Order: sequence, then structure tokens, then C-alpha cells
Amino acid sequence: MKLNRNSITYAAVFTFVVCILFVVILAIANQVTLSRVEANKKLESQLAVLKAFGLADASTPAGEIDSKYRQFITEKAVDQATAYFATIDGQPFVAIKLTMPGLWGPITAVLATDPKGTVVRGFEIVDQQETPGLGGRISEPWFSAQFKGKQTLPDGTIAFVQGSGKGNFDPANGTVDAITGASRTSDFVSALVNRELALARQIGGTL
Amino acid sequence: MSDTEQRKTPAKVSPAGKVMRDGLWYNNPIFVQVLGICSTLAVTNNLRNTLIMVLGVTFATSMGSMTLSALRELIPRKVRMIVQVLVLSFYVIIIDIVLRAYQPAISKQLGPYVGLIITNCILMGRAEAFAASNPPGLAFLDGLANGLGYGWVLLVIAVIREFLGFGSLFGFKIVGNWFTPWTIMVMAPSAFFLLAIALWIANNYKAKAEAAKKVAPAPQKG
Repeated sequence: MKLNRNSITYAAVFTFVVCILFVVILAIANQVTLSRVEANKKLESQLAVLKAFGLADASTPAGEIDSKYRQFITEKAVDQATAYFATIDGQPFVAIKLTMPGLWGPITAVLATDPKGTVVRGFEIVDQQETPGLGGRISEPWFSAQFKGKQTLPDGTIAFVQGSGKGNFDPANGTVDAITGASRTSDFVSALVNRELALARQIGGTL
Repeated sequence: MSDTEQRKTPAKVSPAGKVMRDGLWYNNPIFVQVLGICSTLAVTNNLRNTLIMVLGVTFATSMGSMTLSALRELIPRKVRMIVQVLVLSFYVIIIDIVLRAYQPAISKQLGPYVGLIITNCILMGRAEAFAASNPPGLAFLDGLANGLGYGWVLLVIAVIREFLGFGSLFGFKIVGNWFTPWTIMVMAPSAFFLLAIALWIANNYKAKAEAAKKVAPAPQKG
């Protein structure tokens, strides 16, 4: 059959059919993988919370994350953030997950602490879009490891200072090393950490 | 953009062989067509991301070219660009969906770059310059060759940038702690000058090889 490929009708019908065809395939592919994608997201968030509480690390098998999370953690939505509560070895702890601005995009992180906000239990970046190799290094294990067991300063904050750039692991000094070559990202993370500490204290006080 | 069909290569090479040689060298998308530069700058500070990007572009270009070539008799000229964008973005979204479901860590790291494969000019360039006037098999090969031609240049740049910028390759530390990383290599400017140096070397080499081949001045357009 000889089609008139230059007619408007043919062009319209052709475009319509092709669009429908490809979009339907994409919709199916999306639907098929949807539950998997959601599960990945949930697992990632759960793992970050568990890591902040010191209940899991990178080697924790994926299969154990969900059961561990259910066993230890209760969550509660608070004003623009999520609060998590866990009792570990008889001690209550509180964690805050919060999203605040970063240099290129929002940064989401979890910070766990005692209810008074005096000793940080752990800190974990959940999501960030900082410059790879510079600000992006906030996702590296050494950076979050600095917060483990860190006492806050008398004013209840943690100070970001220009240190060796290799990490500051003294729990008593209330300071962590900022990222070398990423002052802006460090400023944003500092604001995020200290806001989380303030929120944790506020919520922890009601326990 | 120079057209593949008009490049001169030795007469005895089969069409498939010619398409491969063109994509990988004689008409390399980066060296000759100077396409796909945005991603060359964006992802090459890390070999793993570069490799995923290269695989994504190769897949989208070859499958997209093949599909468009199969449809070429049916596509009305008036809407051919719309159809090209539709088909190419279809494959790009497929890559995105697959990565999100099965490789969440990589998908997260690459972030918007996967979706941005569609803005890679190589895809539209090959669809318009080659797939629109060649059979599906050859169009697939052309997409593959161009994807790989783009890929090897990107990987070379990524090796240099990751090694000097992080002291590692594919994330594995190669040199000890005495090594001071070149911060500039991690940032976009280094991609500009590395790419420029690569272009200069490749074109210089090519010009010399061509000059050696023919003593008489080139009969083609200058």
C-alpha cells in the first residue's frame, strides 16, 4: 500500500501511534520495577538511621536491615523532620532526619544523640549532590566517623574547623574537621548538624 | 558535522568495517565531530561513573539508531525530529529505570547525568546523519561504533583525571598516602584542557598520517 507520507493526517496519526506505543512500554517497565525502587529507597533510609544509632554498618546484610529497624526503632514525624527513638543497652537515644540546603542541592542527613544532646551517637548522610571529590566527600566513612561519641561544646553545638582534613577523632573536643577545598559545603553541613542537635534536644526533652 | 558516507577509506573495506573504523577513529564523535562534550566534562573525574555513562550512551545510540532506521520508511519528514527525540529518550528512560531498580547506588551517584544522556548530541547526530538513510543492521553498528568511539576517549580522560585527582583507579587506591591529589583534576576545568590536549594530539596525528598518504594536495573540501 502506498501511503502519502506528506499528508498532515498521516503525520498526526503516525506521531500519535508511536507516542502511545513507546509510552505504554515505559509505563509497564516503570510499574514492574516500582516496588523494587521503593524498597531500595526505604532500605537506604533505614540503613542510614541504623548506622547513625550505631546499630548497623556497611557490612550489615540487606536482609537484616528491615527486621533490625523494626526491632529497635520507632519513628515520629515532627515539624519538617523525622524523629527516631531507640533504646540501646537500656539507654534512650533520639535521632533526627532533616533536609537542608547544600551547595548544589539539598542535603539530607540523620544525626543520633542522647536526649540531652550532649554526646552524639552517630551521623550519616542520606542524600547529597555536592561536588564529587570535594564537597561530595561528606559521604565518605571517615567524615561521619568523626561524630561518633563526640561531646558537644558547652553551647550545645559542634564546631567545624579547618583541621588536618583527615578527621578529628578526639571525642572530648566538640570539633570536627571540615572538608578541605569545600568550605561552602562544610558551612551547609555545619548548619544542618547543629539544627539537628537543637531539634533533638527539643524533642529529647519531652521524653 | 561531516557525513560518514563521504569519508574516504580504502575501497576494499566492507560497509560494516568502514562504519566501525569511522566511529572509532576516522569520524570519532569527540575528535572529529566534537559532539557529546558536556558529558565529557561532567562525569570523567571518576572511572566507574564514566564507564556507566559510556555503556548508557552506547546502548541508547545503537538501539535508538536501529529503531529509527527500521522506522525510516514510515517516519514523515515533517515530524522526524520529534520521533527521533521520542525514540532516543525512550531508551534513555529505560536505562534510568533499570539502574534505579537494580543498581541503586550507581543510579544515585550518577543522579541527573543518566537522564541527560538524551542531550548528548551524538544520539541525535547519528540518528539524523546515519540512521535516517541506512538499513537497521548498519545503523545499529554505527551507533555501537560511535558509542565506543566516544567511550574510549572518555575512559582515557577519566583514567588521567581519577589517577591524578584521587590517586586511584575505579576507586581502588593505586598510590600511597605520600601522594598529594591534584584537586584541579577533580573539577571541571581539568576536563577542558585534557580534552583540548587529546583533540590536539589526535588531529595532529591524523593530519600527519593523511599528509604521508598522499603527496598531492587534498582534492576534497578544505
